[in-house]
Amino acid sequence: MATLLATGLAAKASAAGDLFRDQVAPILQRRCLSCHNETDRRGDLSLTTGVDLREGGYIDADRSDDSHLLEVITPVDGAAKMPKDADPLTAEQIQAVRRWLAAGAPWPDDVKLTASEVKEFDGWSYQPIRHPTPPALADPWIRNPIDAFILDTLRQQRLSPAPPADRRALIRRLSFDLIGLPPSPDDVRRFVADSSPDAYEQLVDRLLESPQYGERWARHWLDVVKYADTCGYDKDKLRPNAWPYRDYVIRSLNEDKPYARFVQEQIAGDVLFPGEPDGILGLGFIAAGPWDFIGHVEVPESKLDGKVARNLDRDDMVCNVVNTFCSVTIQCARCHNHKFDPITQQHYYALQNIFAAVDRADRVYDLDPAVSNQRQQLTETLRERRSQLEKVEAEVRQAGGERLAGLNMRIAELSKQVKVRKAPEFGYHSQTSADPAIAKWAAIELAGADEPAVALQKIVLRPCHDEFGGIGAGFGFPLRFRMETSTDGQQWEVVADETQRDFPNPGLTPYEIALPAGTAVRQIRVTATRLAPRQGVHIFALAELQALTANGENAAVGAKVTSLDSIEAPVRWRRSNLTDGKWAEGADAEVSRELAALESQRRELLAAIETPERMERRRELQEAIAAAERQLAGLPAGRLVYAAATRFDPQGNFKPTLGKLRPIHVLRRGKIEQPGDPAHVGVLPLSEDASWQLDEQLDEGQRRAALARWLTDPEHPLVWRSIVNRVWQHHFGEGIVATPNDFGRMGAKPSHPELLDWLANEFRQHQSLKTLHRQIVTSSVYRQSTAFDPDKAALDAGNRYLWRMNRRRLEAEEVRDAMLLVSGALNPFQGGPGFYLFMLEKTAHSPHYEYHKFDPADPASHRRSIYRFIVRSQPDPWMTTLDCADSSQSTPKRNETLTALQALSLLNNRFNLEMARRFAARLRENVGEQPSPAAMVRRAVDLSLQREPTNDELEALTTYAEQHGMENLCRLVLNFSEFLYLE
Amino acid sequence: MSHESPLDRRGFLSRGLQQGAAGLGCMSLAALLEKDARGEQRGVLQTLHHPPRAKRVVQLFMAGAASHIDLWDHKPMLEKHHGEPSDFGEHVEAFQNGLGPWMRSPFQFAPHGQCGKMLSDVVSPLGECVDDMAFVHNMVGKTGVHSQATYLQATGFQRPGFPGMGAWVSYALGAINEDLPTFVVLPDHRGYASNGPKNWGSAFLPASSQGTPIFPQRDNPIEDLLPRAGFVNERSERDALKLLARFNHKYSQQHPGDSRLEARVRSYELAARMQLSAPEALDISGEPRHVLKMYGLDRLGAVYPETINAAEEAEYFGLKCLMARRLLERGVRFVQIWSGNDNSFPRRNWDSHEDIERDHGPLARGMAVGAAALLKDLKQAGLLEDTIVHWTTEFGRMPSTQGSKGRDHNPYVFTNWLAGGGIRGGVTHGLSDPWGYKPLDRDHPTQVYDIHATMLHLLGIDHTRLTYLHDGIDRRLTDVHGHLLQAIV
Repeated sequence: MATLLATGLAAKASAAGDLFRDQVAPILQRRCLSCHNETDRRGDLSLTTGVDLREGGYIDADRSDDSHLLEVITPVDGAAKMPKDADPLTAEQIQAVRRWLAAGAPWPDDVKLTASEVKEFDGWSYQPIRHPTPPALADPWIRNPIDAFILDTLRQQRLSPAPPADRRALIRRLSFDLIGLPPSPDDVRRFVADSSPDAYEQLVDRLLESPQYGERWARHWLDVVKYADTCGYDKDKLRPNAWPYRDYVIRSLNEDKPYARFVQEQIAGDVLFPGEPDGILGLGFIAAGPWDFIGHVEVPESKLDGKVARNLDRDDMVCNVVNTFCSVTIQCARCHNHKFDPITQQHYYALQNIFAAVDRADRVYDLDPAVSNQRQQLTETLRERRSQLEKVEAEVRQAGGERLAGLNMRIAELSKQVKVRKAPEFGYHSQTSADPAIAKWAAIELAGADEPAVALQKIVLRPCHDEFGGIGAGFGFPLRFRMETSTDGQQWEVVADETQRDFPNPGLTPYEIALPAGTAVRQIRVTATRLAPRQGVHIFALAELQALTANGENAAVGAKVTSLDSIEAPVRWRRSNLTDGKWAEGADAEVSRELAALESQRRELLAAIETPERMERRRELQEAIAAAERQLAGLPAGRLVYAAATRFDPQGNFKPTLGKLRPIHVLRRGKIEQPGDPAHVGVLPLSEDASWQLDEQLDEGQRRAALARWLTDPEHPLVWRSIVNRVWQHHFGEGIVATPNDFGRMGAKPSHPELLDWLANEFRQHQSLKTLHRQIVTSSVYRQSTAFDPDKAALDAGNRYLWRMNRRRLEAEEVRDAMLLVSGALNPFQGGPGFYLFMLEKTAHSPHYEYHKFDPADPASHRRSIYRFIVRSQPDPWMTTLDCADSSQSTPKRNETLTALQALSLLNNRFNLEMARRFAARLRENVGEQPSPAAMVRRAVDLSLQREPTNDELEALTTYAEQHGMENLCRLVLNFSEFLYLE
Repeated sequence: MSHESPLDRRGFLSRGLQQGAAGLGCMSLAALLEKDARGEQRGVLQTLHHPPRAKRVVQLFMAGAASHIDLWDHKPMLEKHHGEPSDFGEHVEAFQNGLGPWMRSPFQFAPHGQCGKMLSDVVSPLGECVDDMAFVHNMVGKTGVHSQATYLQATGFQRPGFPGMGAWVSYALGAINEDLPTFVVLPDHRGYASNGPKNWGSAFLPASSQGTPIFPQRDNPIEDLLPRAGFVNERSERDALKLLARFNHKYSQQHPGDSRLEARVRSYELAARMQLSAPEALDISGEPRHVLKMYGLDRLGAVYPETINAAEEAEYFGLKCLMARRLLERGVRFVQIWSGNDNSFPRRNWDSHEDIERDHGPLARGMAVGAAALLKDLKQAGLLEDTIVHWTTEFGRMPSTQGSKGRDHNPYVFTNWLAGGGIRGGVTHGLSDPWGYKPLDRDHPTQVYDIHATMLHLLGIDHTRLTYLHDGIDRRLTDVHGHLLQAIV
C-alpha cells in the first residue's frame, strides 16, 4: 500500500540498513513526515534524508542510542511529545527505532523519504468497464441477461431462486418501488385478473410513465446530494428558492433525461447549455448542501474564520461532486493524502480550485431562452457602462487631486463619527420601483379649504437614516425632486427645483428652502423625479417635512399626509411618520456642521473641475445605464433558484467574486493558517498515466465545464458503475456494491462484478434510467417472492446472492404518503415551494421551526413528502424517527431501525391521529348510507392492505370497531406490520 | 405569594403528563404486557475495553460561549492592568474586533474548599463542590464561529453530519433501563442553541442512538408519548394494543426468518412501558421542599421581571438539573442540559458582547445553583461516584473589552470542568496564560478530543476502538486525535 520511494536500493545492505528500510523508514514516513519534510521542516527538522536528520540535531552522533529523537517519541503516562496530537508509536515501533539508533542510525544515501501516497490503480473500480457476455445458461427462469448473471452465481454458490411472488405482492412492490405509493384496490384486482401475457410489462410501463415516478426517485437523489430548504449551521436561515432545483430533479427524471446531460447540467449547465433554464436549475446541485451564514456574511473573507468557512464550503462542493457521481470518498484528502485510494492532497485541492470562484446564492433563470439571452446581453452592457462611468469618476478624482482626496477622506472619517440618534419611527417610504425614473410624490395638508392658509417662512426636508442595504444616512433621499406649495390643491407653485441634476446624498443634513415672507400655504408636495437606489430597486423616503412659520413653529406637526404610494410598515415606515416631529440626527452638532461644510466645499470643487466634455460623457453613460436598467426591469420577471453563483446581491461580507478566482493552496494538515504550494486545477487521476491537470488559464466556468465533460466521458470507470449501482440498490435494498458512496479500497467489493459491468456498459450507451429500471424490474430475480428457506439461509444469511427478494420496511416518506393516500387526504398537487410542517417564528434573526405548534389537519400540508420544506438543523422529528435522511450529510442508503419511539410516533403523533380521523371519515362516506361496521372494516383492510380480511380479522376488527369506533380502528390498521412492510 | 403556590406550580408541571396519562388510565398497559425483567440492553460493545469507573454522563452545555475569566479562571493580572490598552504581543483576530483595554472581571473571586480554588462570586454556589471537581483551563478550540464551535464541542467535528457525544455513548453502551430513552436532552426552553437538534442527532449512527428532547415546561414534555385525541381512551387503547400484538405477531409467524417483525411487536411493548416510566420520572411533585429549594425551585410560579435575573435563571436551569437527577437515577445513560438559546435579543445566552455583568451574572448564578444542587444531590444519593458531570461551552471570551462592558469571542483558550465518575476532585489541569488569552504552554493545550477520550475511558471505552464505518471511513468521536488526561482521573 504505502510505498516507500526508494529507487535503486543498494543490492547488498547491512542488517541495520535492512532494519532501516524495512521497519524504521516506514515508521518515519507514516508517522513523522507529514510535518517534518522538506517544505514544512517543523521544529527545524526534516526527515527526508539522513543528512537532514543529522542536521536537525535530534541525533547525538556519538551516543545515538541516547538521542533526543528517542526522548520525544517515548511516551510518559501514555502520551509522547511526538507525534504531536496523535497516538504514540507502539512499543514495537519504538524498539525498532531504538535498535536502529543503537546501530549508529545508518541511513543509506539513496533513500529519500517522501510523503506516503497510494499509487496503485489496481482497485476493481479503476479498471475499464468490460463488455461481459451473459452466461449461456438454458433455464426457463432466465428472462433477461440480469437473470443469467444472477442464476450463474446462485448455482456456483449451490443456491437456487425462490418461487415467483404472487401478483398482489408484485404490484405492491412495483408500485412502492417506482412511484412510492400503494396501488389502489382496483388496480390490484385488475392486475390479478389480467391474463394478458404482458400484463406485468404493461404495469411497469404505466408506473414509469406516471409523474409520480419522478416524485419517488428524486427523493433518492436528494438524499445523496444533501438537499434541504434551509442553510443549516447557526441560525439555519431559510433558503426560499431551493425548491426549483428539487422540481428540476423530479422533472428531469420524469422526462428520462439522458444521464450524461443530467450530470453536465448539474456541474456546468450555465456554460454548456447557455440560455436553457435547466442549465441554471441544475446548478442547484452544487449549492444543495449546508452553508454557514455567520462564516460568510458576518465574518469577512480576510479573517481566518472567513477563510475557514469558505474552505469548508468548497470542500462540501468537491465532496458532493466526487461522492455523488464517482462514489469515491475524497474528504480525507483535505488534510492528508488518502490513506487507501490514489488521491493526494494535490489532487484534492486541484478539485477545490475548480470551484475557486463559486459561492451559493439566489440566481435568476428564465423559462424563455430568448429572454435569457437578452438578460445576459443587458447585464453585460450594464457592467461595461458602469465600469466606463467609474473611469469618468476616476478622472474626476484625479483632477480633484489631493484636495479632493483629502476632502473625501475627512468626510468619510467624520461620517463615521456622526453618531445617529433616531426614533423607531423612521419616516415615509414609497413602494419600490425597478425604474428610477418613475415619479413619486408625497404631500401634506396644513389647513383645510375652510381654514385659513398658514403663513410660512421656511420648508425643511429631513432625510432618513436606515442601515438597510448598508446605506445609513440619507436613505431614500431622492436624487432629483421638486417641491411645490398650493392653497387649493389644484394650482401648484414650484418653490424648489432639483430636477435638473442629481442631488448628492445629503446625509442627515436637512434640506431647507426659504419662502418669500408670509407665503400662504395650505398644501406642500414633494415629487421625486429620480428615485434613490436601494439594493437593486429604487425608492423615495423622507423622515420629516417641516413647515416653519415666522416664529419658528412647525405648522406641519400632525398634518395629514397623502402620497402616490407607501410602504405601510409601522412603526418604522408609514405616511404619518412624515409629520410626527421625529427624524434622525447626528448627535454631535459640531461634527455635523463640519461635515456639511466639507460636503459643500466638495460640491464646489467638483463643479470647478468638471469639463463639458466629461459631463456629456457622464450624461450619456448615465442615460445608457438607465436605459439598460429600464429594459432589464421590462423583461418578464426571471425566477430565482438557489444555485452555484458568481454574481449575486451582496449581503454583509458575502460578496460575489464576479468570476475572480480565489487563490487556492494545498493546505498542510488542512489548516488554513498553513498554506503550502499553490494548487493545480484538475480532476481525479483514474490511472497511473492519466493526465489529471487542467489548464490553469481556464476561467471559472470553463473549469466546471471541463469537470462536467470528464465526468461524462464514456470511458469513465466510476460514473456509470456508480449510478447503475444506486438504482440497483433502491430496487433490492442492497447494491451490487454495498457501499454506494465508496468504490475505494475501504468500500465493499461488488458481489456480481460482471453484472455490474454489463449494466454499466449498457447504461452508458442508452443513458436512460427508465430503461435501466425496466431491465431490472422485469427480471425474474426481481419477481421472486421473499420466501425464507433455512437451508439457503445457512449458505447466504445476508442474501448477497439474491436467492429471494428482500423484504423492506417503507421509508419515512412512503409511510407518510401511504397514510395520506389511504385516508383520502392526499393532495396530489405537484411542484412549487415546500409546504411547512411547523410553525415558523422569529424569522428575522434565527428562525424557530416549531413542530409541536403545527396543526396536522392543515390541508396545505397534505401533499407528498417530497414537497416538504426540509429544515436542515431542525429536521422533522417524526420523519427522523422513521430513519429519514439527514440533509447534513450524503445519505446513499438509509438506516432501517426499530425503536420504541417509532412505535410511539406511529401510535400517537398528531399526524397519525389526524390520518386515523380522515380515514374513518372516508370509510363512512364510501360505504354509502347505511354503513355496517363489518363493511367498513372490509373497506379499511382493502384500502390499506389491498386484500380481503380473513374471517378472524374481520370478526376481531369488527368487534373492536363496534366497541371503540372507526377512528380507533383506523389508528390500529395504520400500525399493522403488513401496512409498513413490503413483500 | 402564599406558601401553597409552589405546590400548585408543581402540580402544574406534572399535570400535563398526568392528564395525558389519566386519559389512558396510567396503569393498565403494563398489566397486559408480559412482565419482563428490567435487563440492561447491551449496546454495540458486547464487552467493555476495560473496567469502567462510570456508567452515566450528564453534560452541561453553555450556549453562546461562557467566559472562563469571569467564572473559573481567576486573573489577578487583569485586575492590576484594568483599563490599560490591551497588548497581546501578536496580531489577534477577534470575531467582532473586541480588542479594547484589558478588563477585569466585574465579579469578585474568593477561594473555596480544601483545594482553595478561586471562584467568581457568581458561581460561588459551586464552592462547596470544588473538591469534587477537576478544572481544565487550557482548552483550545478551532474557530470563533458559534455554529462550528458548538459542533466541535458537541460532536467532535466542526461541521454538520456527525453524531453527538451522547449518541456515541448510547450506541456503544446501550440502555441501562429500556423503559426510558437512553439519551435525553433538556434544551433551553426559550430556543435551541446554534445547530439545534443536530448537536444531539445520531447522524450516521442508528436513529435509536439520537437524543430524545424533553421539555419539562411544555404541556407535552415528550412528543408522541401519549395520544392526544378524544377518541382514544383507556379501554380502546388496551384493546388496540392487544389486537396489534396479535396481528403483528401473526404476520411475523407467517413470515419466518425475519427477526425485525418480532422485534416490532416487542417495540410496542417497550413503548407502553415508556409511557408509564417517563411521566413518573418527570413528576417532581413528590420532591421534598428542601430539595426543591436546593435546586432554586422554591419560587415556582413566581412572576419575573422582563429583564434577565438570577432567580428566574436558577429556576429554569435548576428544574432541568432536578429532572436530570431523576432521569439518571432511573437509568438514563446520558443527559445533556443546555443553558442559553439562539443568538436573538434580548440576550438569553452567554454571548456577552455587550455586557458581561448584566448577562453573565444572572446566567452564571442560575447555572451554579442548579449545577451545585445536582452535584450534591448525586453525591448524597451515591450516584456521583459512577456519573460523570461535564461542564462545557463553545469557547472562551477575550480579556480585553468589547464596547465598554462586553467581551468578544476567544477560541484560543477556555475552561471545562468535570466531576464524578472517577474524576479526581480538587485538581486543576492545564493553565491559561496570565491574561487568560491563550494556554500558558501553547504547545500543549487540551482539546475536545482529550476531554471526550477521557470521558469514554472512564466509561470503559478505548476511544480509538469505538468506530463506525461510514462511507468508507472508520469514524470515531475523537476523529484521529485524543489523549487520556491522566492528571484528572
